[in-house]
Amino acid sequence: MSDALSARQLAHTYADGRVALHPMTFAVRAGERVALVGPNGAGKTTLFLRVAGVLPGKPGHLAVCGLDPALAAHRSALPAKVGIVFQNPDDQLFAPTLREDVAFGPLNLGATAAAAVAVAEEMLARVGLPGAGDRTPHTLSGGEKRRAAVAGVLAMRPEVVLLDEPSMYLDPRGRRELIRLLNGLPGTMVVATHDLKFAAETCQRVLILDAGHLVADGPTATLFTNAALLDRHGLELP
Amino acid sequence: MTLALRDPPAPDSPLARWDARWKLAGLLALSAGASLLETPGPLAALLALTAALAVVGGRIAVTAVVGRALLLALPVAPLLVVLPLADGRRGGLVAAAVSARLVAVGLTALVLIRTTGFPTLLAAAQGLRVPGVLVAVAQAAYRYSFVLAGEARRTRVALRTRGFRLRSDRRTYQTVGYSVGALLVRSADRAETVAAAMRVRGFSGAFHTTTAFRTTAADVVGFAAAIAAVAGLVAWDRGSAGDE
Repeated sequence: MSDALSARQLAHTYADGRVALHPMTFAVRAGERVALVGPNGAGKTTLFLRVAGVLPGKPGHLAVCGLDPALAAHRSALPAKVGIVFQNPDDQLFAPTLREDVAFGPLNLGATAAAAVAVAEEMLARVGLPGAGDRTPHTLSGGEKRRAAVAGVLAMRPEVVLLDEPSMYLDPRGRRELIRLLNGLPGTMVVATHDLKFAAETCQRVLILDAGHLVADGPTATLFTNAALLDRHGLELP
Repeated sequence: MTLALRDPPAPDSPLARWDARWKLAGLLALSAGASLLETPGPLAALLALTAALAVVGGRIAVTAVVGRALLLALPVAPLLVVLPLADGRRGGLVAAAVSARLVAVGLTALVLIRTTGFPTLLAAAQGLRVPGVLVAVAQAAYRYSFVLAGEARRTRVALRTRGFRLRSDRRTYQTVGYSVGALLVRSADRAETVAAAMRVRGFSGAFHTTTAFRTTAADVVGFAAAIAAVAGLVAWDRGSAGDE
């Protein structure tokens, strides 16, 4: 199976000199479910923004579905391949209605208005919000906002979905619904979280980041039973 | 808990059924015409016309229209007192004209907003060749006004739970200043994240919409009527000004 995502000696330093990612090498195969876990400030969101081409830069090499996010010409093609569900759904749901918001991506990719609306309705139904197209985002609960944000990304039919702290702001029911939804989705998925129970329920493989270093890479069942490793990197057993 | 503003209802009405592009163009022309009027007769007719548009054409409750008109007139109310004292009848007429224009334009905006869903209004603006970036900015401003209002309300609740009460003292001004500053900083952070979230979904500055428009003869007639009304009022106004 080919790699959907591969990083070789990938690193990132912000303009203010803060090193967010130290050189790291890993690959995610197509169709694989990977959890990116680590404490706050580990570099999870920075890694996502690099993968999606939002933070362009070097050093290191990154390949996402055959595209190099460091190249401007490839970056413009990335939205069709990679989708990010942001940590706070209010950052993502910017349109006045859910239909407009979910249709936003497909319209940007060149879909006709009718096709975009059809996809929007289909995706809203898929995430458990059928017929909610006319609702305004500020009237939704936290769980509904999260599912609407997922619908907005799925509407672009990306090959890789990146989810940043998806269980944040969710009550137990919303969390359960989201786990069920994610486990039913096809494609490659990378979930950044420090909710290890959530990671264990959605992913078969785990990458542990700590202070910008990739410190462990292995099966969820193996790494999540290594109490000493988790404790050393500020994580707790699920 | 959802802390948010509420959208105004948009009742079904003749104006709600008017193609939003023609409506936007017609009502903008009416507002532009309003700014040209100076004499009492045409201004009174303009006020009557905008009030009728709101109540009859837009099916907006009379109380809501009157309330909004009074609210709009409030900022210029001092002029209605001061200018007659300073310049007699002429001052009174100037103050009345300023108030009438302000209320008429405000009522026109009320009609537009209350009879058109916001996404439709944005799509209409785009249909009238308003630049896509401006339409996208207006869309984001509308959406995030609710988020920011919620944040401001949560901040106020948090301050109150720690014993803060509004007073006329330095500490109150300082606290309010800090809160507003924090809100602005959070807004700036959010703006960056929102922009990133839009870019990863393929946004490159062009505004696309799912709203489709279809012009009918009635839409064009409505627009022509608006233009005719503006032209008639301006001609009447110029004639009245010449007589004086």
